[in-house]
Amino acid sequence: MNTFSIRAFIPPLTLRFIPIRATRRYAVQAPGAPTFEIFSHQHKWMQKERAAADAQTSRNVDYLRDEVASRLCERLLDINRHFPHVLDLGANACNIARMLTLPSEDSPDAGPRSKRISKLTAADSSETLLHRDADLPFNNEIEIYRKVLSAPETLPYEANTFDAVLSSLSLHWINDLPSILSQVNNILKPDSPFIGVMMGGDSLFELRTSLQLAELDRRGGVSTHTSPLADVRDVGGLLQRAGFNLLTVDVDDIVVDFPDSFSLMKDLQAMGESNAVLAREKGAIQKDVLLAAEGIYRELHGNEDGSLPATFRLIYMIGWKPSPNQAKPLERGTGMFSIKDFLENEKNEEGGGDK
Amino acid sequence: MPSRTRPIDRVAAAAARCSKEGATYGKCIVADYNNVHKDKCLTEFLKLKECYLVSIRHGSN
Repeated sequence: MNTFSIRAFIPPLTLRFIPIRATRRYAVQAPGAPTFEIFSHQHKWMQKERAAADAQTSRNVDYLRDEVASRLCERLLDINRHFPHVLDLGANACNIARMLTLPSEDSPDAGPRSKRISKLTAADSSETLLHRDADLPFNNEIEIYRKVLSAPETLPYEANTFDAVLSSLSLHWINDLPSILSQVNNILKPDSPFIGVMMGGDSLFELRTSLQLAELDRRGGVSTHTSPLADVRDVGGLLQRAGFNLLTVDVDDIVVDFPDSFSLMKDLQAMGESNAVLAREKGAIQKDVLLAAEGIYRELHGNEDGSLPATFRLIYMIGWKPSPNQAKPLERGTGMFSIKDFLENEKNEEGGGDK
Repeated sequence: MPSRTRPIDRVAAAAARCSKEGATYGKCIVADYNNVHKDKCLTEFLKLKECYLVSIRHGSN
């Protein structure tokens, strides 16, 4: 039987808005654990495009992404080697690239941080957001290529391509984290690092709890307004499962104070970080609930000076692709001297020395 | 640049003028937040909403 598809007549931009499910295809599922679809990629893409279309507002809310990208770059600089080709996965507005062109906060005179990076590829699914800052002067200071990903969970790169992969604040919208991490492991050269940071754990717990209480009182039930997020203990397991070695995972809390809960939600929207959970309630949130949540937020979490804190919990992760000549941890029980003696000696020398 | 104020800004401004009612409502919920049910603080909320509706009407003029 002939199937007639109208897909060919739809202009490419609107094509992205139409669910893939509207077309007929063979359903193929990879063997192994079934993948859960939690986030709507189409919706996320649309939010990012809309947010980036208003460039000025979008730049005003870059404070969080810039700070996080800057901290991520510091971690990259801790690795003392040259990186010929680096991938920035989920680049948003190329915040990492801009932060790399600035000098390090610890040594402002040492010149830009990008000295040790020859070529940076920035990949993101949202074209408007990715090219938002393409005309700014920092683009001339670093060799940067922008790549629009047509499918955010499939990386179009050959194995052993990159000398490092960075990812800042975009992994929390990925449905299948184990798969994307394995792909990252695959495209890395042996003995190369993956350095990522994602929202996790108790991010925005203040907003989450006040919306829940407000909905319970106003409507008698709770619906999803904030994403489910990975926890710190999950991340270690995920990296290990993807085949990374020498893992480092640490947590950083950034607390931002807002004048009211409406400005927090407005900023999140301008970042393109609104709710994109598939099971969310469609349509706008009720005004009654917003009004109630504002009162509860202020009462439950508010600061003494009248501002409202919002916690962003960032999980930094570093993993290395295995290689035969990589430094390995020693066998248990092979230590030749006690770390306690070493630290005590160090303290005594500092205390009794010239200082 | 868009010169008109967004609806959310008007809501925020109107809600800010009802901070007293908002605090009363918030206290009522937070007093026993493990046991919230529908319309637990209905009277407090209606006061808040009444103030908000008056406030947003004045704000738009």
